[in-house]
Amino acid sequence: MVVHIKELNSSLFLNLQSRKCLFSDRLILIQQSELNWKAYIIKYILKGRGMTGLTKNRIYTYSLTDLLGPLNDVEEKYAPKVLYVAGDLPIPLPKPRSSIIGSRKASTKALETTRHITSALVQKGVIIVSGLAKGIDTIAHKTTIEEGGDTIAVLGTPLDKYYPKENAQLQDFIMHNHLAISQFPNDYPIQPRNFVIRNRTMALISDISIIVEAKDSSGSLHQGWEALRLGRPLFICESIVKDASLSWPIKMLEYGAMVLNDPEEVLDYLPSNQGILKLIQ
Amino acid sequence: MKLSQLQFSSLLTYCPRGGLGEANKSKDVMLALKSDTFVDDPPILMSQWIANTLKQNKDNLPFSPYFHDDTTLVPTPKSSLMQPNTLWVPERIATAIVRVGLAKNVLPCLSRITPVRKAATSPAKDRPKPADHYRTISVQKPLNQPSKIILIDDIITRGSTLLGAANRLADVFPHIPIYALAAIRTISNTSDFKKIYDPCVGTITLRATGDTIRRP
Repeated sequence: MVVHIKELNSSLFLNLQSRKCLFSDRLILIQQSELNWKAYIIKYILKGRGMTGLTKNRIYTYSLTDLLGPLNDVEEKYAPKVLYVAGDLPIPLPKPRSSIIGSRKASTKALETTRHITSALVQKGVIIVSGLAKGIDTIAHKTTIEEGGDTIAVLGTPLDKYYPKENAQLQDFIMHNHLAISQFPNDYPIQPRNFVIRNRTMALISDISIIVEAKDSSGSLHQGWEALRLGRPLFICESIVKDASLSWPIKMLEYGAMVLNDPEEVLDYLPSNQGILKLIQ
Repeated sequence: MKLSQLQFSSLLTYCPRGGLGEANKSKDVMLALKSDTFVDDPPILMSQWIANTLKQNKDNLPFSPYFHDDTTLVPTPKSSLMQPNTLWVPERIATAIVRVGLAKNVLPCLSRITPVRKAATSPAKDRPKPADHYRTISVQKPLNQPSKIILIDDIITRGSTLLGAANRLADVFPHIPIYALAAIRTISNTSDFKKIYDPCVGTITLRATGDTIRRP
C-alpha cells in the first residue's frame, strides 16, 4: 500500500501502535497538531479500500433503530426519526457504549478525572460517547483517540457546522475515523434548544452515562435526567457529589443516580458486545 | 409489620460475580431486564418474554397456582424516586402478564415516598431492611378489594423490598393472600449457579436482626 506521508512523528507513531491505536486493518499517519493536542491524526488508509481522509465527508441517514436495534416505548418517546451519520464505525453500533460528559469550563482536576475514566474504559473496550463541546467532552474524545479506542460524537449542530469552531479538526477526524451523529440536517439553524434535544439522544445512544463535573445550570443535566427516565445507569463523580454548592447531584441520587468512585465500578452495568440477546429456556 | 414471612417465586437466575458460560451471560440477561430491551429473534421485549414464558410453561411451573383469573398484580416500587414517564420494569412485567391472560389486572398502588439505598450497590451491612422499605413506601387503597395479590419485582436479592412492600399491602388488605414473583433471583456464590432458566418457589423470612434470609 502506498502511503502519502506529510509528517510522521515516529516515537508517537510507535507509542500509538503499542497501544493498539493502529486498528487492526488500518494504517494511521500522524503529525503534530497546531492545536496543542499532542497528536492529530490527519489521514488513514483502509487496507484494500484505498485512500480516504481528506476527501469530503460522506453523510448517511439512519433511523435510531438502524443504529441501536428496536426501541421500547419509553425509549421512543424522544427518539429522533432520522439521524445524519458520518464515520467509520459499524452499523448497528457495537457495544458497550458509555457517555462521558460535563462542563465546558471544567476544572483542571475534572479534566484529569475525565482522562483517567476515559482511559480506563477504553482499555476495557468501551466505546466513548460525548458531545464534542469544549472542556470535558473534548478531553473524552481526544483521550479515546490517543488510547486507541472508538468514539462517537453526538452533535447539537448539523454535521456541516463546527461548534465550537476550535474543534473543527477534531470533528473532521471523528467524521472520518470514528463516528459523528446529528439529528439536524445540513443548514439547520443553530439554536440553544438543539443541544437539549441532542442530550436526550446521547442518553439513548449510551448504555450508561457519567457526569464528571457540571454546574446547576449545565446542559449535561438534561442527559442525566433522560438517562434516569430511560432506566439507564447514571454515574456522578464523587467529587461533585461532595460539592455543597451544588444542588443537582443530591437530587439525581434521590432519583437513582449512583456515585462513581472508581471507573471499574461501571463495568458491572455494561452489556457485552453482542447483538440482540438470545434467551434459551 | 404484620408479616414475617413471604412466599416468593422466580423464573431466572443471575450471578453477579459472573463466571463461565451461562453465569457470565446472566449479566446480560439482567441488564436486558433492567432496561426492558428487546431479546431473541424475532425480537420481543424482555418483559413480554417473561410473560410469554410463564404462559407457555404454566402447567410445569412450581408456582402456577399463584396465577388465576382473579389475581391482582402489584408492581414493587424502585428504591429511588421516579419522574413521570420513567421506565418502571416491575409495572411492565405485570402489564405483560395480564396481557397474556395470567392475571386479572395491574394495581400500581405502591409508591416510594423517600428514596433508600440500592441493595445492589450497598455493602451488606448498609442494605435497607424490610422496615426501611415499609417506612418509605406508601400505599393507596383502591375502591375494589382484590381477592389475591402477587407482588411483582424485577430482581430479588435478599427479599427485603418485597417483604417491606408486602407488609405495607397487608395494612390495607389484612385478609388477602399476598405472594411475590421476581423475574430474576440473584445467586451470590458462583458455585451455586446452575443455569439462567431455573424456576423456583421459596421463602423470605424476617430475622431477629431486622434483615432477611431468602431460601433458596
